[in-house]
Amino acid sequence: MKPTLVDLIHISKGFDGQLVLDDLNLSIHENEFLTLLGPSGCGKTTTLRILGGFESPDSGQVIFDGKDITNLPPNKRNLNTVFQKYALFSHMSVEENIAFGLKISGKSDAYIRDKIKYALKLVNLEGYENRLPDSLSGGQQQRIAIARAIVNEPRLLLLDEPLGALDLKLRQDMQYELIRLKNELGITFIYVTHDQEEALTMSDTIVVMNQGYIQQMGSPEDIYNEPQNAFVADFIGESNIIEGIMLQDRLVEILGAKFPCVDVGFGHNKPVDVVIRPEDVDLVEPELGTIQGVVSHLIFKGVHYEMEVQANGFEWLVHSTDMFPVGKEVGIHVDPFDIQIMNKPESEDEEAIGVNE
Amino acid sequence: MKKTARNIYLGLILLLMYAPIGTLIVLSFNSSKSRSKWGGFTLKWYRSLFQDEAIMSALYNTLAIAFLSALIATLIGTCAAIGITAMKAKWRTVIMGVTNIPVLNSDIVTGISLMLLFIACRFTLGFSTILIAHITFNIPYAILSVMPKLKQTNKRTYEAARDLGAGPFQAFMRVVFPDILPGVLSGFLMTFTMSLDDFIITHFTKGPGVDTLSTKIYSEVRKGIRPEMYALSTLLFLSVMVIMILINISPKETDKKAVSASAKKKRKAPLYQVIPAAMILFVTVTGFFHHLRTTGSVSEKQVIVYNWGEYLDPEVLDLFTEETGIQVIYEEFETNEIMYPKILSGAIAYDVVCPSDYMIQRMRENNLLAEINWDNVPNLKNIDPTYLEQSQSFDPENKYSVPYCVGTVGILYNKTMVDDPVDSWDILWNPKYADSILMQDSVRDAFAVALKRLGYSLNSLEVDELIQATDDLIEQKPLVQAYVVDQVRDKMIGNEAALGVIYSGEALYTQRENPDLEYVIPKEGSNVWIDSWVIPANAKNKENAEAFINFLCRPDIALMNFEYITYATPNTAARALIEDESIRNSSVLFPSAEDLKDCETFRFLGDEADSYYNELWNKVKSN
Repeated sequence: MKPTLVDLIHISKGFDGQLVLDDLNLSIHENEFLTLLGPSGCGKTTTLRILGGFESPDSGQVIFDGKDITNLPPNKRNLNTVFQKYALFSHMSVEENIAFGLKISGKSDAYIRDKIKYALKLVNLEGYENRLPDSLSGGQQQRIAIARAIVNEPRLLLLDEPLGALDLKLRQDMQYELIRLKNELGITFIYVTHDQEEALTMSDTIVVMNQGYIQQMGSPEDIYNEPQNAFVADFIGESNIIEGIMLQDRLVEILGAKFPCVDVGFGHNKPVDVVIRPEDVDLVEPELGTIQGVVSHLIFKGVHYEMEVQANGFEWLVHSTDMFPVGKEVGIHVDPFDIQIMNKPESEDEEAIGVNE
Repeated sequence: MKKTARNIYLGLILLLMYAPIGTLIVLSFNSSKSRSKWGGFTLKWYRSLFQDEAIMSALYNTLAIAFLSALIATLIGTCAAIGITAMKAKWRTVIMGVTNIPVLNSDIVTGISLMLLFIACRFTLGFSTILIAHITFNIPYAILSVMPKLKQTNKRTYEAARDLGAGPFQAFMRVVFPDILPGVLSGFLMTFTMSLDDFIITHFTKGPGVDTLSTKIYSEVRKGIRPEMYALSTLLFLSVMVIMILINISPKETDKKAVSASAKKKRKAPLYQVIPAAMILFVTVTGFFHHLRTTGSVSEKQVIVYNWGEYLDPEVLDLFTEETGIQVIYEEFETNEIMYPKILSGAIAYDVVCPSDYMIQRMRENNLLAEINWDNVPNLKNIDPTYLEQSQSFDPENKYSVPYCVGTVGILYNKTMVDDPVDSWDILWNPKYADSILMQDSVRDAFAVALKRLGYSLNSLEVDELIQATDDLIEQKPLVQAYVVDQVRDKMIGNEAALGVIYSGEALYTQRENPDLEYVIPKEGSNVWIDSWVIPANAKNKENAEAFINFLCRPDIALMNFEYITYATPNTAARALIEDESIRNSSVLFPSAEDLKDCETFRFLGDEADSYYNELWNKVKSN
């Protein structure tokens, strides 16, 4: 494992008596692309602003490279931020925007000139030195904002929903651009977004947050395939989340039918939540399925068909490259390793942060 | 067709809006002093404007106050706006409401309350109090103009600057300030013009010897505004227009995806506001140096003089200071009614004041006057005893006042238009001259004519007599062309009327402009008015005041003032020095004791009688 760059220790923060972060602990490693993912109001932006120095936590510590920087003002921190909606200085040219931080730290003109050239090359905007931010497209402005931040050679780059204002195509292009940048620069990225696809595409580590708590932390594959609770399962991708009973190891009862699975250690006859991804639901001839149902909706999505199947009183969401017309009777089959078993929330408190949110 | 109508309508509106200012501009180039006669094109008023030190000093004061108050108010307003923006929404609304109230408040309330505050804090009224007052009323305007810009500013740009290593102040100056600069500049220009325009607040907070253009111009209303002021007003109007045009020319918001050429242009947008600001700075600094050059040293000994506008030759003041070493602080008022409350409030301890007859009576009755020590005024011997006697109607023992200017009210008529003998007020009731008669538009003057015609006192308190006079005035009304004040002079010069009631001081001037005009004091008697020097009870330099009065009674000095004011002087020794025989022996200016036999001065009749007179006058006017 790479060495730790940032440690957030027991961070709590509230606004107007409303707790936004509750005893948050998080370690970020060097050269990691870490994404804070969650719905709005989950505390992800507050976490980033505490890191940047724009908010101070009510309690807890921020350790950066071994030093406590909890009370250090933003201009004294060796990190930079790319803001939501870019926050470019509209009265300055592209060149002046990028040179801003370097001029303040008193770098020589020659050094600044070189850096501007290098940074513009890095973000593919050579020749834009004398343009004003307002005359650039959203994607170009975003790249200038990134260039402005990285010329200062920060150890850590904070990105606050930087692609939120861009259209889909541009967003996808910029995602690859960011991964490339991170690899070329070798600096640590902390990325905030509410877009799970973005998170899955770019991150080394995803931290799923809700209501000020970390729900789950892990690699994109872990988060997607093994959601630890219904909230994560629901928030990451689309899921069929069904109440079930773990009859014994490797056997779960769902909607009155018995499904073999691979999970063990839940005990006998234990109520659980079962997650099955829509693409893992196989539609087969009725007699071959574990349970039977009728197709009630059908939408063509390009890569696949999206269908809804009414079976045993539950509406199953199914993604498949095979098409089954509405009204057709089908059987449902799920491979054992595609069934994800989760403990039901145990306390009222956990319930509150669960699926309903 | 529809379009033509629309354009005509628009033209009419513009004409209505700009006709007055156009008239002013035209008159500023008129070589005749008259407002109704075109005497040819001239630039002489502009020349004499720049040579007039009183006007130039008022101009400097105006610019300095406008510049400083705009600068300070904009600074305070910008800081306040930043603070208010950072507040929580609830507080922000409350504070914005509080700062908006002074904007909606009427100027007169603001002016009086500031004056009261200054007096309570024992501030000496003067340049600094005007400045403080202007800053005070300008701050809300500055806030209002900066606020919207701050609201538009992306808060994250400040954070971005901090993030890139800037300290709080550095971040503000380099990132936030350029964003709100257009708002700050337009706030500066707006407060500058607000300050330039203000009359009421300045009037209440100014002290003796300090004038801005607005108060200076207003102080001249009694004697008629000088053409130099038309020239100055023209220049002011043009400068304000230029500033406004420059502010409004700032280019329209360019397209987001504009090419770089237009982007370059946009960056220069604030320049359009920087230019006027720089112009203002330049003019003010120039004015300051001009002021330094012309301001002499300040002496310990001083006398504070409060006089009518244009009612003393400025050279006389210099001579007085030269001879006695007493510095004169000179302030002007417009009407007795404006002067009186200032004396009453005691805000400024004036040393010598020049009210009219009835006002002296009122001041005396309210114990506002000090007895003059006649040992210090030996030149009183030059004053015609007739006027000292007349003065007894308001100063029974001749203890408080020294007559300065005198005059009568009479009939001015055009010899070519009137063939009947004019020796009685009756002629103003002669239907032959219907629509050619001008009456004074003031209650006491109008009733004086009617009462005197009936053989009553013009200070009558008899209800029967007053009702009779009222009926006569109503009867006369169809014959009257207009009830006017200043325009009698101009209309008579322009042959627009045959007969007019006029003050003798104006008569001489009208005769010079139009030799067909003749002035008569009707045989029934008329009003004789006397403006006299008095010393307020709270004067701090009473001996200097007496020296000043004595100086004004010196024949050569009285002559200088007579030539400057052209109103009759009660100083017989000065009259003897007048070279022009026709003026020296003019019966208009210097009526004989016989002519004045039945003339009276106005008396202050008390509030109750005043309102009764007004009630009757309203009846006449509305009939």
